[in-house]
Amino acid sequence: MAVSAVTAATAAPERRRQTGGPGRAARYLFFGAALFYLCVPMIAVLIYSFATRWTANVLPDGYTLEWWQATLSNPRIQSAFSTSIMLATLTAAIDIALVVPAAYWSRVRNARIRHVVEVTAALPFALPYIVIAFGLMQFSGMVAPQFQGTFLLLVAGHAAIAFPFVYWAVDGAMAAAGIERLSETAEACGASPFQAVRRVVIPNISAGIVSGGLLSFAASFGEFAMAQIIGRGMDTVPLWSAEMIRSYSDTAGSYNRLAVVTLLTFAVLFALSAVVVYWNRGQTVRLLPGAGATNPTEGDRR
Amino acid sequence: MSGVSLVGVTKMYGQVRALDHVSVDVCEGELLALLGPSGCGKTTLLRCVAGLERPDRGTVEIGSRDVTDVQTRRRPIGMVFQSYALFPNMTVRQNIAFPLEVRHMSRKAITPRVEEMLDLVHLTAQADRYPKQISGGQAQRCALGRALAPNPEVLLLDEPLSALDAVVRGRLRDEIRRIQQRVGITAIYVTHDQSEAMAIADRVAVMNAGRVEQIAAPADLYEMPSTQFSATFVGSRNAVELVVRNGKLGIPGSFHIDAPEGSNGHALAFFRPEDVRVSKGDSGPGMDARVELKIFLGSTTRLHLVGEADGLPIAIFGDLPSRQARLIDEGETVRVDVDPDHVQAFPV
Repeated sequence: MAVSAVTAATAAPERRRQTGGPGRAARYLFFGAALFYLCVPMIAVLIYSFATRWTANVLPDGYTLEWWQATLSNPRIQSAFSTSIMLATLTAAIDIALVVPAAYWSRVRNARIRHVVEVTAALPFALPYIVIAFGLMQFSGMVAPQFQGTFLLLVAGHAAIAFPFVYWAVDGAMAAAGIERLSETAEACGASPFQAVRRVVIPNISAGIVSGGLLSFAASFGEFAMAQIIGRGMDTVPLWSAEMIRSYSDTAGSYNRLAVVTLLTFAVLFALSAVVVYWNRGQTVRLLPGAGATNPTEGDRR
Repeated sequence: MSGVSLVGVTKMYGQVRALDHVSVDVCEGELLALLGPSGCGKTTLLRCVAGLERPDRGTVEIGSRDVTDVQTRRRPIGMVFQSYALFPNMTVRQNIAFPLEVRHMSRKAITPRVEEMLDLVHLTAQADRYPKQISGGQAQRCALGRALAPNPEVLLLDEPLSALDAVVRGRLRDEIRRIQQRVGITAIYVTHDQSEAMAIADRVAVMNAGRVEQIAAPADLYEMPSTQFSATFVGSRNAVELVVRNGKLGIPGSFHIDAPEGSNGHALAFFRPEDVRVSKGDSGPGMDARVELKIFLGSTTRLHLVGEADGLPIAIFGDLPSRQARLIDEGETVRVDVDPDHVQAFPV
């Protein structure tokens, strides 16, 4: 008892020094500034989506639900959203299906293919998407012309540019979980490779799979350049938005509807992020290469 | 019989010979410790038994069945790793049940077996905790229970205590030994800690540079190391370089023994600090030596002694019971004698 009383007495001023004074004020200031910087554009968009006209004043001249009603009931926008969600979902699904086995193989069976995978994962960032898109068009024109301009080719293109997000998240999760040792142990326990992957590997890297899936979903959902080249005549959310921006002069309220669509997009991604955060609670995951992988045995998960 | 037999096992990593023609027989129910410095090949040898490494040459037999080409998961083994390697997504109970489930045992058969294992490793109270919620010692006991659950023929332990602190290490070492003897399972135990190997094993195989230097019972290994490497690696030992004259070497006034074959002018004499007899004054057998340093170690006290042989100074450690050592001061000159029966000589 005496010992703990002494520790408490000495610890108390320590804590006050850490949280009080100008340091604390500076932290709140920075936090407030960051929040302001992030939130003001969103709030402006939100207000705009309800504005009748917003010209000379700080706040709009009047408010209406017209843009929300018009947007939500517009079949073109509905179809753009369903196309984009389908596209992004397929992209994420394909990337997960391709990357998880590849990352597993490169860690557990053949370390030599790691270099190849890592270089490949950097390529989409070294080349502009337009270049990749034209390359894909050329290639499909030579190999499979019937796929030109189809949804499937766009899915393939998005899968190609979004897979590094999945790879980094999954590979980081594998490093954090020590997947090599775990799958060796599963094998020594008598598990077949399939049993090892299903019961040991996947449950311990699910945080990475979900995070990577979200990132690739978002990358595909917001992608514009490749969709414009490969997906001519298709309506995705970014393509529709671009059209709205161009048509400002001749369609009344197009910016307001754009604001509605922006908020809807935000809502979709925010909801997904919330799912990811919920799913990953406590699980350590490394999203980017170079960021420190944390040892799962050291975290306090529960 | 259900021992393990390795014949002429060779494993190369590029140009490095991790295992060089190793042949070892482990008897049924025996615990064999593989002892050696890091990089000596002891873990590689264990992984060859587990099937996690494939030998380039040689055969591995478990219970007189050749398993050299058998996959790890089809070998009758249980394995415990240094890093516990419990599955973090499963509770203690689920970890122990895992090897039974992947063998498609019925739920009815699994439940009592898991309870039996929990009881064996004293984890019944922690059965529903996750690996993060238990201590290192408990984690390693869980790993032991998981390894033994499917009733394997051989238990393989890869430095199971290295990640634990000293108190837990000693306790768990005795616990592993108790369980191994109670189950009566053949076991191979890799360690770099000689006192751990001595304490737990029926026999110890000393490994160095991909070869087995000596296999012997702990007491024999301690008393009579057959190679210079085992002599230096096992226990603390005096290594004194002495001049060979007329096929003999020795310390004046103390021992004279036959020089080892192949010695060329000089040879190394090995003997233990506890075989050094120290007496006060200048009478009695032995040579004169000065006490340079006294180190109190508890029940014994170690003396750093410097004497002279063939005109060259020689340094010797001597361990005395502390009560006797209290009568000797630093800087004093004493008589030092070594029992020739406990001296071994190897060529330089």
